[in-house]
Amino acid sequence: MSAPNCLRCLGRRPSTATTVTAAGRCAPFSTTAVNGNVPMRAKTPNPMAKEIGFRSGARLTIKKKKVNHNEGKAPAPGERKAYRKKIVLSNDNALPVPWLKNMNAEHLASPQSAGKVLSLPSELQDQLRASEAFQPSQNWGFFRKPSTLVRTETVDLVTRMQDSASEKKTLRLVVTGSKLVGKSTMLLQAMAHAYLNGWIVIHIPDAQELVNASTEYGRIPETEPTQYMQPAYALKLLQAIKKANEKVLAKINTVSSHPELPQNIPVNTPLLTLVNAAKEAEGAWPVFHALWSELTNPNANRPPVLFSLDGLSHIMKMSEYRSPSFELIHAHDLAFVRLFNDVLSGNLKFPNGGAVLASTSRSNAPRSPSMEISLAQRKAEQAGAAPEELPKKEPYFKGYDDRVEAVLKSVEVMEVKGLTKPEARSIMEYWAASGMLRAAVDERTVSEKWTLAGNGVLGELERASLLTMKYF
Amino acid sequence: MASTTRHGLTSALRGVPKTLYTRQTQSLQQQFQSLRLSESAAVTNGCRCLTTEAIKAAPEVDLEALKTRKVHEVRHARAIPASPGYFSRVAKFNDTYIALEKLLAQYGNLPTIPATEVERVQWRTYSDFATGVGEKIRLIDYKRCLAIVKRLNQIHPKLKPAVVKTALESFKREIQAYKNVPKPIPIDKFGRALGVGKRKSSSARAFLVEGNGEVLVNGKTLAEYFGRVHDRESAIWALHATGRADKYNVWARVDGGGTTGQAEALTLAISKALMAHEPALKPALRRAGCVTRDPRRVERKKHGHLKARKSPTWVKR
Repeated sequence: MSAPNCLRCLGRRPSTATTVTAAGRCAPFSTTAVNGNVPMRAKTPNPMAKEIGFRSGARLTIKKKKVNHNEGKAPAPGERKAYRKKIVLSNDNALPVPWLKNMNAEHLASPQSAGKVLSLPSELQDQLRASEAFQPSQNWGFFRKPSTLVRTETVDLVTRMQDSASEKKTLRLVVTGSKLVGKSTMLLQAMAHAYLNGWIVIHIPDAQELVNASTEYGRIPETEPTQYMQPAYALKLLQAIKKANEKVLAKINTVSSHPELPQNIPVNTPLLTLVNAAKEAEGAWPVFHALWSELTNPNANRPPVLFSLDGLSHIMKMSEYRSPSFELIHAHDLAFVRLFNDVLSGNLKFPNGGAVLASTSRSNAPRSPSMEISLAQRKAEQAGAAPEELPKKEPYFKGYDDRVEAVLKSVEVMEVKGLTKPEARSIMEYWAASGMLRAAVDERTVSEKWTLAGNGVLGELERASLLTMKYF
Repeated sequence: MASTTRHGLTSALRGVPKTLYTRQTQSLQQQFQSLRLSESAAVTNGCRCLTTEAIKAAPEVDLEALKTRKVHEVRHARAIPASPGYFSRVAKFNDTYIALEKLLAQYGNLPTIPATEVERVQWRTYSDFATGVGEKIRLIDYKRCLAIVKRLNQIHPKLKPAVVKTALESFKREIQAYKNVPKPIPIDKFGRALGVGKRKSSSARAFLVEGNGEVLVNGKTLAEYFGRVHDRESAIWALHATGRADKYNVWARVDGGGTTGQAEALTLAISKALMAHEPALKPALRRAGCVTRDPRRVERKKHGHLKARKSPTWVKR
């Protein structure tokens, strides 16, 4: 709607303006529409009310609130998820910590660095980010540089990885522990060590994505029992592998030609080229298969491989995919899961050594009774319990799964526990030096927070001291 | 002389010594005052002192015996009251007051202990005492009386005579709240102290041992049991407020109620157990609000309301 008197007219003699004010009786300079100011007419009595003859006085009228339907623009598809999954690794407002050192290839394996906070070098950050080792629920974005506390458990795990690599064995290990205790961070540290030492790392950041029927799947022909590939996931994984392991893959060459691939990959081609052959989801699974066969080829000299997976219980149950006869597919019939389980159970070995690590989850984890009982049994075995003393299955419970138990028959179990008080003090000093913990870090504060954090559970320590505005 | 006048007759009947009636023209008031004056007491103490012992009530008049002895029947004879205080408004009270004063005069010189060290006694309140006696006592009089009582109570307990003790008994309340002392919490052979606490409908038992700050609640760690950080803080508030968070380990059982109630029941339980280990912390714990049980419970629902106080939405018709 246009204003009754235009801006140009305002400069002239107020001939029009005076007429308007006379008619509308409003202020001499006003942009308000005149019509809005029309004096009210006297109310005409309601003829209906007179006819009926009762109560024609003031009535309660409830006005409906106007609902504004177009408030801003709806986020584009995928935008919300991208926001949810956004990972921030630095905070310019945090203070730089002067004593902080960058992690190098030896640090994580040396007992001297236990209880110290080390930061991740930027190249390693990119690699870890590519393989989705950082999780949005972790608070990396509080500090100037992403850094981790090296724990005695970390040193222990990394040393075992190193030993198995040097002996050309495969370390098969499941990381367990209570909620927020740092299981995923333990995987991240293992991956950091692997990247820094030139290993090839294949990481499945969230096992749930493999089994919850969110990516497309197809039968792999000529397999008995039928296996299923997930081409879209394969492409995504290949791209992550390529991005994270680019340097290593460029150095090592293929030892066999792969006639099943549409592209011509002759012998002695860098593995990077092989990985690059997957451009679309359609051919991604065969390429991944070819890469896998190259990495596990006993005749080639390959660097050690780390295959890790987060959220083990998701792949230890029936998946949500359906077979052509509309029956649920067991997760172990999915090709990716099968590969992982082959290594985890010890049926398949990395010829040049390596490790397969799985971590359980406590926040988003379906129940897998067989996995729980198997891990409990393995833990008891490691503690030196006699076979008859092992935890037993419930005799009348039907939910056990033999395939799961077969996979977990001989794995090692590492239970991550709470921090010790010196470790807690070390990380709290780092927080304080970054300006994120506004308290003097003395013995009293440390032990109090340590108690509040359920005997030093790292995530709870963060909640009790860093995230006090969020959780109270 | 005694038999001819009316005075003489009554006094003969009552057995009053004649010496009191030597002066004929005494007014009634004067006579009464002279009755109550004990000359011997006044002389010994050097001050006026009232006594009831000098005068003895006469035995009951046996009319039959009088008839057989052919004595003239006496009309209008009045019995003299047992206590001279009978003619005052508050006879019983006056008697006790006088008795107390006498005791004070007798034993007031005995050594005393400071008022702060005397065993605490709840004395009867004014209204309680007044209804017990059945007389209209003035408050100020009762206060004076109590002052004497308290002074007598201050006498060193080893030297306090039995008479004084019995005299004070009537001023004590039947139920002595100060005798209701909680049982001290023992520390067992393992070094544990068991404290019990309640809040809302939760109750908690906490075993406290010297340690390094580990807490187990119903077999879980503090973080596993209480999802809310605030609840964890309030559970170990007693230890935190006294700076003992890293000095003790807690093993606790909690049941009933919700998370907040359970956490605050734990506060009380831990603080009680802590007081067993270190009684000197009681003032600090009281300042931290960990000593008194919070008596509030859910308010009951009322009819005509949706909850305890919430009214249904107002509708015009």
